Amino acid sequence: MEERFIIELTQSLKNFLPEVSLTVTLSLVILLDLIFGRRFKNIGAFVSLAGLVVTLFFTIKQYGGSYQIFRGMFVVDPYSTFFKFVFLLSAFVIVIFSLQSYELRETSARRRIGEYYFFILSLTLGAFLMAGSVNLIMMYLSLELVSISSYILAGYIKESERSSEASMKYVIYGALSSGLMIYGISLVYGLTGELNIYAINASFLSSGYSPIVLMISLVLILAGFGYKISAVPFHYWTPDVYEGAPITVTAFLSVSSKAAGFAMLVRFLKASFIDRTITLGIEGAWAVIQGLPLTEIVAVLSALTMTVGNIIAIWQNNLKRMLAYSSIAHAGYILMGVVVMQNLGISAMLIYFLAYLFMNLGAFYCVMLVAEKTGSEDIEVYKGLGYRAPFLSIVFTIFLVSLTGIPPTFGFIGKLYLFSALINAKVIWLAVVGVLNSVVSLYYYIRVVRNMFLGDPESGKEPINFSPAHIVVMLILVIPTLLFGVYFTPIVNFAQISVAMFGLR
Amino acid sequence: MLSEFAKVLLFLIIGVIFVAGGLITNRLIRPHKPNPEKSTIYECGEEPIGNPWVKFNIRFYTVALIFLIFEVEVVFLFPWAVIYKELGLFAFIEMVVFLLILILGYVYAWAKGDLEWDKPKPKYLGFEREKREIEEVQA
Amino acid sequence: MIPLSWYLFLSLILFTIGVLGVLIRRNAIVIFMCIELMLNSVNLALVGFSSYIGNEIGQMLVFFVLVVAAAEVSVGLAIIIAIFRNRLTVNIDEINLLKW
Repeated sequence: MEERFIIELTQSLKNFLPEVSLTVTLSLVILLDLIFGRRFKNIGAFVSLAGLVVTLFFTIKQYGGSYQIFRGMFVVDPYSTFFKFVFLLSAFVIVIFSLQSYELRETSARRRIGEYYFFILSLTLGAFLMAGSVNLIMMYLSLELVSISSYILAGYIKESERSSEASMKYVIYGALSSGLMIYGISLVYGLTGELNIYAINASFLSSGYSPIVLMISLVLILAGFGYKISAVPFHYWTPDVYEGAPITVTAFLSVSSKAAGFAMLVRFLKASFIDRTITLGIEGAWAVIQGLPLTEIVAVLSALTMTVGNIIAIWQNNLKRMLAYSSIAHAGYILMGVVVMQNLGISAMLIYFLAYLFMNLGAFYCVMLVAEKTGSEDIEVYKGLGYRAPFLSIVFTIFLVSLTGIPPTFGFIGKLYLFSALINAKVIWLAVVGVLNSVVSLYYYIRVVRNMFLGDPESGKEPINFSPAHIVVMLILVIPTLLFGVYFTPIVNFAQISVAMFGLR
Repeated sequence: MLSEFAKVLLFLIIGVIFVAGGLITNRLIRPHKPNPEKSTIYECGEEPIGNPWVKFNIRFYTVALIFLIFEVEVVFLFPWAVIYKELGLFAFIEMVVFLLILILGYVYAWAKGDLEWDKPKPKYLGFEREKREIEEVQA
Repeated sequence: MIPLSWYLFLSLILFTIGVLGVLIRRNAIVIFMCIELMLNSVNLALVGFSSYIGNEIGQMLVFFVLVVAAAEVSVGLAIIIAIFRNRLTVNIDEINLLKW
């Protein structure tokens, strides 16, 4: 017994190195910050960066394999590894943002800066686990790890009323929806007696199920996922939290936590509700088990999410809040890739996530810099910014154009693949809704651009200068946004290889 | 024969009857002559000072939170202890890793002074805002 | 032997009370108590299912739910303290700086 166990475990640990290295890094961050934190303020940031690089190394080494480890708790496959790259990249960029962030430097948060990086890393670790977990216990735990870290991060500036209010709302919504989700999980467990999603699927197929109970539990579980990806009936926390939280945290949540939610959602839907006995004849398509209107549910969610997000975003005057609603809308677009229930849709989703990573982080970075220089996130301060800070304005325009989905940007490629996947699967109505929404979104993105280049400066006319470090970060984010908009073949190939999930067609 | 649960139920019923019966007979046969001395709250013979519904010091709360976290982790030690013999050294190492991570948290709480009793009074962070508001009203 | 449905009904009732409490009550601390109630009702359902089905995975999940509930609530209470120091209230109707 013992020998077999140890062999199994060493095998598992070998494929678990990225997570182990992240765990070691975050323990080191907190330890070193306790010891040297007084003398070297930013030790946490540099240790985190080093740890992230090491983790990246292990993750690259892991890419391509497909294993189940820790007795069916966790899988390592190209799909989860792809998401790990997304999380690592965004964590890396966010640590660099945080080093430059005035919000963290000028408030009481500077006294707790080591812990800040600790929570950034623990959120990343949770996201890693979410991407790879195939057991409902593991899914719930990793989801909670991400949630709890983000509650704390959202309220990180304790003396800011907005920050603590954001954190409070987040924790209440989060706890409510995770409570709903765990109730759904308990029902699924009652139906099947299993918590591993492959075993659940096998039990559905072999011993049948009651569609109504399954439907109820699916809706409850979707509440948990929907909250994580901020899909519409569960989106109420998003604008408040995004507005109140420190902007580096907002940017991180909008990418990492959302990507993790999607990674887990798609794996859960695909692995648990696939009917392996039916072959559809289309390459990479999967059939949903009978009596479950999964496609319709997700399609309605997607249409609602993007419509509500885009329409409310029109009225926003605070840029952070506008980007929050735009991120809700983007969740709707990404859900379109899930609707088709084909690998084509998933690969489109992966491409979109890479695009979203660069353009969304970039947009938040620009908002952060402007807020630092002018002290406000209101759309009014953007008036005449094109003359005061031409470089930033052009870069910001590129990000906004990319978020709208206009060529030649990466955002366009992402949307193109999503829509083509939809049309390929003949879900035309949703594609029409998506296109209409993109037109609506153009209005509010362009409003900012119009303010920057056509408005008269009101709050001072003197030019705003940025340090070389700021310009370098902007370039790092804007170059991929433009480059992959033109030269996208490697990204598309990468995404198409990465749709492979463990044990699934 | 009674089932196990019926025995528990019987036990409960007898317990309730015993307590309630005692209280009721007491009530029926005791003399009833209250005076102010008698109806004060009993505090070990001391004169009671103020209302018992006071706010507790916030430090109890911090310590309680820390206690809560570490206490709940013990839940994982029970199943581990059950199969400890079967798994031997390996299980020991596993648990040491788990506990090390926990101890890291404990060290953190300690080093940050959350276990100290004598700490400066926590500041009410809203003062600045209130001052601002008062100034605005005056202006 | 008590049938499974009794456990499930009790758990459903507790869960509903919890959800209603979260939606109706205005005091942040009471809301957290209601969330605890929700999680504990789930625990009851899990234990009931586990003994009915006859495998122990459900009971395993109960441990984790317990621990997560403790972690969530301690973070939640810490956040409530932070907000109380800022605003001197824990009534969520008065905590309304961020809207629309």
